[in-house]
Amino acid sequence: MPKLKLEMDVNGKRVSRSTAPHTRLLDFLRDDLNLTGTKEGCGAGECGTCSVFVDGKLVKSCLMPAAKANGAKVETIEGLAIPGDLTPVQKAFHKTGASQCGYCIPGMVMAATSALRENPSAGIEEIKERLGGNICRCTGYTKIFEAVELARDVIAGDLPVTALEEDAVGDSYIGTNVRRLDAPSKVSGRLKYAADMKMYDMLQVQILRSPHAHARIVSIDTSAAEAMEGVECVITAADVPGKDGYGVFVHDQPTLATGKVRYVGEAVAAVAAEDLLTARRAVAAIKVEYEELPGVYFAQDAQKQGAPIIHDYAPDNLVKHIPVRKGDVAAGFAAADLILEDDFSTQQVEHAYLEPEAGIAYVDPDDVVVVISPSQNISHHRHMLAEIIDKPINKVRFIMSPVGGGFGGKEDMIYQGILAICAMKTHRPVQLNFTREESILASAKRHPSKVHYKMGLTNDGRITAIEFSMLSDGGAYGMSSEGVMRKAAILSCGPYEVHNLKVDTTAVYTNNTPSGAFRTFGGMQAQFATESMMDMAAEALGMDPFAIRRVNMMKIGSKTHTQQELKTASLDRCLDAAEQSCRWEAGPPNVRGQVRGDMGGPDTRKPCTLGARFEGTDLEPDGTEKVA
Amino acid sequence: MLTCDTYHMPTSLHDALALWAAAPQGSKLISGGTDILPWAREGREGDVHLPALIDVTRIPELGGHVISNGRVRLGARTVYQDFLTQGTLRLALPCMPYCAIWFADDQIREQATLAGNLVNASPVGDGTPAVVALNGEIELARLVDDEIVRRVVPVIDFIEGPGRTQIADDEIATAVILDAANGYGGSFQKVGLRRSLVISVACCAALVRTDRDGRVFEHVRLALGGVGPRPIRLERVEAALRGELVSRRLIKQVSELAADTVASRSRQEYRREVVVNFVRAALEEALENQPDVQVKFQDEGEMANA
Repeated sequence: MPKLKLEMDVNGKRVSRSTAPHTRLLDFLRDDLNLTGTKEGCGAGECGTCSVFVDGKLVKSCLMPAAKANGAKVETIEGLAIPGDLTPVQKAFHKTGASQCGYCIPGMVMAATSALRENPSAGIEEIKERLGGNICRCTGYTKIFEAVELARDVIAGDLPVTALEEDAVGDSYIGTNVRRLDAPSKVSGRLKYAADMKMYDMLQVQILRSPHAHARIVSIDTSAAEAMEGVECVITAADVPGKDGYGVFVHDQPTLATGKVRYVGEAVAAVAAEDLLTARRAVAAIKVEYEELPGVYFAQDAQKQGAPIIHDYAPDNLVKHIPVRKGDVAAGFAAADLILEDDFSTQQVEHAYLEPEAGIAYVDPDDVVVVISPSQNISHHRHMLAEIIDKPINKVRFIMSPVGGGFGGKEDMIYQGILAICAMKTHRPVQLNFTREESILASAKRHPSKVHYKMGLTNDGRITAIEFSMLSDGGAYGMSSEGVMRKAAILSCGPYEVHNLKVDTTAVYTNNTPSGAFRTFGGMQAQFATESMMDMAAEALGMDPFAIRRVNMMKIGSKTHTQQELKTASLDRCLDAAEQSCRWEAGPPNVRGQVRGDMGGPDTRKPCTLGARFEGTDLEPDGTEKVA
Repeated sequence: MLTCDTYHMPTSLHDALALWAAAPQGSKLISGGTDILPWAREGREGDVHLPALIDVTRIPELGGHVISNGRVRLGARTVYQDFLTQGTLRLALPCMPYCAIWFADDQIREQATLAGNLVNASPVGDGTPAVVALNGEIELARLVDDEIVRRVVPVIDFIEGPGRTQIADDEIATAVILDAANGYGGSFQKVGLRRSLVISVACCAALVRTDRDGRVFEHVRLALGGVGPRPIRLERVEAALRGELVSRRLIKQVSELAADTVASRSRQEYRREVVVNFVRAALEEALENQPDVQVKFQDEGEMANA
């Protein structure tokens, strides 16, 4: 295809390059100019990791063909300050701890810079509004907003420049605002994530994924893909050199689908080619014949008589059952004045870290297979990969690249094996960058869970017995299910002293996207049920929700659900602090009137509105702003 | 992934029309590009290869705006952010700033054009109800014997269904022509899954003008989006208010008329409830947003708990 000649001013330098006619401005900056501070988080304008200025206007470079910037003045994160320096906005992000994983931060700094350029005296609501196109998954935004307000005040001269410097440390670091060491590399866009790294002669990998939830692979024809110019290798399960199988607990997942596919999105084949477009076209040319199999789509169906078997090793579709027993449950319920019984369900959740999965692999001159990726579990990955590629452990190396958000979702080795095999086949460095859609399709999710709950209480609010039964959808592969079930069981009945309990947590195989590790690791699903039950019990007994928790809370000397004796306990102080800071009005949950004194205070979250920028900008009849 | 053989950036309307008329089958026009790039991704169209993309944003004739004879002519390059930053447009098109602030985000608004939004003809396009409330028309141009020939179509007729419009294969949208509604109060209501960057489940645009004392409805314009395949103008509600005393009771009562307009395929019951509340909120907000008029609700105080 004919190339497009583009000329523009990028960060004050005149650049001129020929590029493909469809190149996006994002690709032009990252691939042609090596300005990788601008990130790709979604490719669809949703996340803001790619925000740049074009002729002074902030835009999303993933939605802009590079041709549109021909002749324009482009400013990226790299061009905000001179090398070695930071702008007040960048310094403020450093000061307040606004950068965590850092992947959203270049875009966030650009949006903050734009907000203060458009309105140097923007209030907090307008700042929030102007940052609305940029997503962060680590911070909850509070520290980012603090940074923008700090930068605004310093730029306006309302605060001294020294306000951007680190706070002095007194007797202890505890209670002191200490700046993160890695923040300058993130606010300046200099930190290289796996997708930002380039190696000489590197190939691009793309993966063919299953369109079926459960199907036998009848045949795979890779001949057309292999015949394409620029394709260096096409791999399937047949190319795995060693004993295949990975997983955090049970090694039940193949590097590439073997014999059958078990969920929509499972990797079936992969291509390494000279460039991304060739790799994508080659993947589209692979022909797979499937024979669809009946599937299991609801956890409650997995263990029914005659349910389809998903893994041969687990004919009952059981991933893991964790039982916990303590005391005498029958006696506990017999002693209760009130027995409550209810069901709770929680849904599948995607981590949606801003950095989609990415990685590089190569074989070094000593035949060491090296994988660079934002893995949250590199030592375990290294051991598993050694078996999969049939190499001694000293010939396998994992390098952990900066993790642009993980939250548990990057614990699973869902692509590193593919990279390693492609590198071994081609003896060239290979890189794979997931698209956002691919990341959502293929990576683990939070376990959807159903909890059946039975709680016995005396009239004074003391819990006499609990029966807690959780059924979780583990999806197609085991991943972290076993650990998640263990944690859910340990935390099941909450921080309350319960002498008689019967707890069962179970994860089963289905043909849904695999469930895995996700912040709280099973605790959230259990606590949603337990804390809801506590509030419902308070209502039924006419008690204050704080009071019923104090009656039951674990104290020093209490035994946990798994019989550990506590040497320290702080729930009393937690409850006191929570009660005080929310200005709680004492009483049962259901007896308040329409107006509550503890709602709508200065520290409560207001409903979302937009239009803060209209405030105080009345217009004259000619359309100019009225000057007060 | 969107790929193409050629990317054209014509710098005159004539050149653009000539390129477009001669473009190979499957070529596309591109304006802001904020919809076409996400369209060519997994889950929607997947990887798409086009013979040619013809970019219409460097055509000088499509820029700027002119206000004359009670109408505003917006060049097709007009982007959503212009309704927030350009004072003359904010005054003449009082529902557009509220529509724009709920549209995508500041960055996408710098690229996304109103004309592109109308030509895409999504049933949930935010611009459509606002334009319909402003008695909007779209101007289309084509080449006949190498001469530029233009026609103007009311937007309410132009959009025939999801993704379907009256634009001909060789035409390019060149302008959007709207009533200059200076003095009206404007409002825009929208519900989606979050605040920024969200497509409407339903939306409602309103324009209201009372007498100078703020007691009598003189003109009311209401339009809905997201509740059916085509844009909807709420003429029954408008007629029921014209000449009536402003009261919260009347607003509540006429808002109920909007429920029966819901004809979308999904979530009908939800949308029926939403549009009734939207019409009520839109009318009340548009009343309050009138410049230099203090509204007097006839039944002020009585309806506090309604």
